[in-house]
Amino acid sequence: MGDIQNSAPTLGARKNVDPGQNAVKRLQTELMQLMTSPAPGVSAFPSADGNLLSWRATIEGPEDTPYAGLTFKLSFEFPTNYPYAPPTVLFRTPIYHPNVDFSGRICLDILKDKWTAAYNTQTVLLSLQSLLGEPNNASPLNGEAAELWDKDPTLFKTKVMDRHKDIDDD
Amino acid sequence: MPAAVASRWQDRRRRVFQSVFQTDLSPPTPQAVPLPSANLSFSQGLQYHSGTGPTVTSGSFYDEDTQDTTQPAFFNPPDQGLLVSHTPSNSFHSTVTAGSQPSQLFFAAPDTGTGDQAAYDNAWRLVTARITLPSSVTSPTLAGSLPPDAALPSNAEFCDALAHIVHASTLLPGAIRTDDVFAWHTHQVRAHFSQHVIPLLSGCLDTGSTGDGDPERKGSDQERAKNSHYERHMVIVMSSIRTLEAALRLYSHGFDLLVKGITHAESAAAFGTPAVNVEVLANHFRRDIHALVGNSISQQLTKSLRIVLVRLVGNVLGIPSEDDDGARNLKSRRPAPPTDDDFKALAARQRLHELVEQLHNVGLAGERFQVLFAEVMDWMMSAFVCGAYAGVWSATDRRSLSSVLNTVSRGTGSSVTSPCIISLMDWVENHFARLSFEVLSRISHASVSPVTLSDLKTYQSLALSRLSTLRIAELFDIVLAWPDSRGALDDLRATITTSARRLQLTSHFTQALKTRLLHPGCSTLEILQTYIDIIHTFHALDHSKVLLGHVEPSLKLYLWQREDAVRIVVTGLLASPDEVRAARKVKEISKQQAEQKKAGKRPEASTRRGANKGPVVTPTTTGRSSRTPNATRQRDGLDESSSKAHGATPIKSRASGTGKLVELALLLNDPTKTRHTLVEDEELDWNDMNWVPDPVDAGANYKRPKSEDVIGTLISALGSEDVFIKEFASIVAERLLSLSDPARFDQELRVLDLLKRRFGEAALQNCDVMIKDIEDSRRLDVAIRRAWDEQRRLTAATPVMMSGHFLRSADKRKKAALQRQQQQEPTQYHARILSRLFWPALDREHFLLPDPIIEEQKRYEQGYEHLKSNRKLTWLNQLGTVRVELELRDRTVTIDCTTPQATVIYAFNDSDDDDDIEIDNNASKPPGARRTVDELYTTLQMDEDLITSCLEYWVSKKVLRRLRSPSSPQGGSYTYVVIESLSDPIVDEEDHPTKDDDDPFGNHPTSTTSPQEAGQAAEGPEEESNKPAIDPKELERRTMYWQYIKGMLTNASASMPLAQMAMMMKMLIADGFPWTNEELGEFLAEKIAEGEMEVVSGGKYRLVKK
Repeated sequence: MGDIQNSAPTLGARKNVDPGQNAVKRLQTELMQLMTSPAPGVSAFPSADGNLLSWRATIEGPEDTPYAGLTFKLSFEFPTNYPYAPPTVLFRTPIYHPNVDFSGRICLDILKDKWTAAYNTQTVLLSLQSLLGEPNNASPLNGEAAELWDKDPTLFKTKVMDRHKDIDDD
Repeated sequence: MPAAVASRWQDRRRRVFQSVFQTDLSPPTPQAVPLPSANLSFSQGLQYHSGTGPTVTSGSFYDEDTQDTTQPAFFNPPDQGLLVSHTPSNSFHSTVTAGSQPSQLFFAAPDTGTGDQAAYDNAWRLVTARITLPSSVTSPTLAGSLPPDAALPSNAEFCDALAHIVHASTLLPGAIRTDDVFAWHTHQVRAHFSQHVIPLLSGCLDTGSTGDGDPERKGSDQERAKNSHYERHMVIVMSSIRTLEAALRLYSHGFDLLVKGITHAESAAAFGTPAVNVEVLANHFRRDIHALVGNSISQQLTKSLRIVLVRLVGNVLGIPSEDDDGARNLKSRRPAPPTDDDFKALAARQRLHELVEQLHNVGLAGERFQVLFAEVMDWMMSAFVCGAYAGVWSATDRRSLSSVLNTVSRGTGSSVTSPCIISLMDWVENHFARLSFEVLSRISHASVSPVTLSDLKTYQSLALSRLSTLRIAELFDIVLAWPDSRGALDDLRATITTSARRLQLTSHFTQALKTRLLHPGCSTLEILQTYIDIIHTFHALDHSKVLLGHVEPSLKLYLWQREDAVRIVVTGLLASPDEVRAARKVKEISKQQAEQKKAGKRPEASTRRGANKGPVVTPTTTGRSSRTPNATRQRDGLDESSSKAHGATPIKSRASGTGKLVELALLLNDPTKTRHTLVEDEELDWNDMNWVPDPVDAGANYKRPKSEDVIGTLISALGSEDVFIKEFASIVAERLLSLSDPARFDQELRVLDLLKRRFGEAALQNCDVMIKDIEDSRRLDVAIRRAWDEQRRLTAATPVMMSGHFLRSADKRKKAALQRQQQQEPTQYHARILSRLFWPALDREHFLLPDPIIEEQKRYEQGYEHLKSNRKLTWLNQLGTVRVELELRDRTVTIDCTTPQATVIYAFNDSDDDDDIEIDNNASKPPGARRTVDELYTTLQMDEDLITSCLEYWVSKKVLRRLRSPSSPQGGSYTYVVIESLSDPIVDEEDHPTKDDDDPFGNHPTSTTSPQEAGQAAEGPEEESNKPAIDPKELERRTMYWQYIKGMLTNASASMPLAQMAMMMKMLIADGFPWTNEELGEFLAEKIAEGEMEVVSGGKYRLVKK
């Protein structure tokens, strides 16, 4: 993980040509990093239509959380001025989580105002993975889930399992 | 001419005559139309003559005795004997009979007209009988037998009759049926020509064709055949001319009779009628005859004429023809303008003049001849240009060429200084144009000069365009011959003037590149070397680089496919001064050899590597020896590429010996090349007298390049700068790690500066850091050791081994390299500390170091952590270098080698090192220490392939010997034994001589040996084991691709067809995805076999769910 954090700024400081082109180049490099040093439990790849600005990602639910053993699919839409603006990230797999609403939108500061160009797809995925285990209950999108997380973990787990549904691509 | 040929020819001739004699002729009646008579068959004629022939004779006409008196001198060529054929004279009699016979018929016909008509008819008969043509003109007998009275028509009767005919309207007003006697004569001539002369002409041609078909001639000596080939055609032409001359003389004789008769009659008697315009008639007649003759030239005659012309014109212009005497060494003969006293040329010129005049006289010099002549001259010009200038590029060749010049070209108007062009202009002016003038002035009627100054200019520009075509065709060879081919470029520069020519040049050269260079048979090194030459050449040709820009794309595209191109360029740039010197020496040697070779035998124009490159073998052998000092340093892919480069095609011979592009280093070190022009904006340099406008075919954003800039062009041609920088970084890393001498950084720094100028500081930051790392670690090394020495007691019993290792910090911030060197007692241990982030990925190879080294490492680590807190070292053991000293029984071997190699050989020491036992593990086996790969694998935990390659290294150094181990279950495994003494016979495993001292590291007293053998060991041939091992890079790549595939199938789509996967990979992998669909398919098949993937419906692949 550390090396990616370190190397990202050098990449971001590349001379700017065409912004869209820059984003594509950056994403190519990110992809290469993801592939050469994959982080456990997360993976991402451009969508099958060949558009590099649109990715699909997978997160495995971390152990010791209600999401253990589950797999979540996400979609990343990168803006053309990426990495100077955050990607739009959505859960495509239905998930029951305090910071995710029913249409998959995520409330995470680094995807909003705390975004910096030093972040990348892998860091975002790892943040999301840790968000699964440690939700930010102070600003929930799903109030019920936030409540249940603290009060009734068993019911929470049931709700999670109810809500979860493997989606098939293709 | 050989007698046999002559007699055969005569024989044939005779037969033709005989057939002609039997023909009849048209009746000379006014009504007679010439054509119908042609229908009479020969047999009819024959019967006719046999009946009436002897009855009428007019001997005075055909007196054979007169034949020699009137024959003109030029009718007596040297080979007249051949042509003179004394045919029996009776045939003439018979023909005359035939001529007068119709008149008799005419007489016999009942005459219904008045007396005038009868008188007219009588006169007509008289006149026509006199001017009737004989039926044959072939023989000189006939040709010479003009009637003696022809000159002065004293025959009053004839004159009267003629006057009556011509002035029929006044003298014989009663005659109704009158006719023009001149028209009648012309008719007669036409009929005669078509019936008799044309067959005769074809008879002449027959002689030629006989020769062609003659088998015995074909088998005879070729040179003679060629020679007589020309002679034969000359005979054809001459006999045709002679036949025509005879015929024409005959025709004009009749005409003259008429004309003179008229003149005589008019002067004698004064008729009131206007005089006939004799001159108009004569011109008219001549034109008719010439048209007749001119249109009768057969193809075969044209062919013969062409051959004769080619020969004569060739001789005059100094172009050796194939039929020439020197046909055998034609290749070595170049066309050159003949000197003034060249007898052969003079003779040919004389002969040509005669021939042309004769042709003109008989009317053969018409339009067809002119076309023919033009074709021949055109061919001559091409032949001269191609022959004289092909392959003549270097200044020395050209000087000899231009020494022929004795006149300075006038009127070319250009300031061209190229010797080729000057000599060509001179040739065109003094030989080519002169000859055309001479020939054309002989055959043209006009009074104006047939060849004007503007024609001369046209000729010269034609010649120049030929030259440029030649040079364009040669351009690729010119490039290869650089820099000895500068002269040829002068020619090209002077002749490439239009944009069409430039286009021709670029397209032709691109084509040549494709067929001759850009194919798998050429190594990348070669292509790059040629590329450098191309840059030089095109820069010399066209400073604007526009031409180069047109040629480059295909080359660039091709080079991008060569993965090693960047590497070769970078190593070339980094070539050490030693290598550069060696390369220079090799170049000089091969140059000398080439010159020697040239002195002995001039290379053919078509051979490609003429001047400086020498034979294939030379650079290879010298290159080997010159490279040995550096061989250890360049053990990676470079050696392979260099050995490849020496193999196949002649281009390779110029690989400069080291297998590197040392040219680049030469350029880099050349102060004249690196100096930059100070003038920033050339457009504003008003004092630049060499300024030329931008070329017409320059692009819109064209900017004039300042200098040749070979290196820059090459770098920019190699694709993206990222790739280049990456490759540069990895090569610099490699070199920095392998270099022990810090002074060597000069070259790296120089290249680095150059690249910085091109790519900017930021891009090359990593390299800066790398170099700084090395320098820093030297300082650090000293500091650590100083601190360390203070607290350390010297231990006497350290192993005699130096080892270098690389460390890598645990916090992944620093890599460090340590190197230890042994001076006397303590093992010297030095490290290089690398900043991990800035170095290219370096693999960590796992194996166990010898214990003493590990101790040193630990100590060093402590020292480092003491100096730099919060940092830890991670060792990269395999990158170190070690100086090993092996004390064997008969010798001491000192070798610099890599850490794995040192570790392996140290393993042969182990057993004695600790407890001084002199016997190996197995006490029953006393001789030199022995190990198997398996044993080493267990003790060292090193990769087996690596172990094997290390063992082979020591085998090649004659330290170890490989024995087939019988105890091993696998036949392929070997036991390695230390060669304690070189004098030991090579023995089998079973009967090993007993050797007590099996310690290769010589803690024991060594026994005495002969120094020679020790020396022999040291110089042992350096062979690297070429055991194929899986390329770690390839392995890495496969792992990466698998990650891509997994990522793709996990996220993008659960199942995908092969083609789509390949497409995605190609699109997404920044460095490119070199695999074909088939290779990817194989890879996926492997994964399926491993149970990682499966194929679902529709041939789609997907991951197996676990």
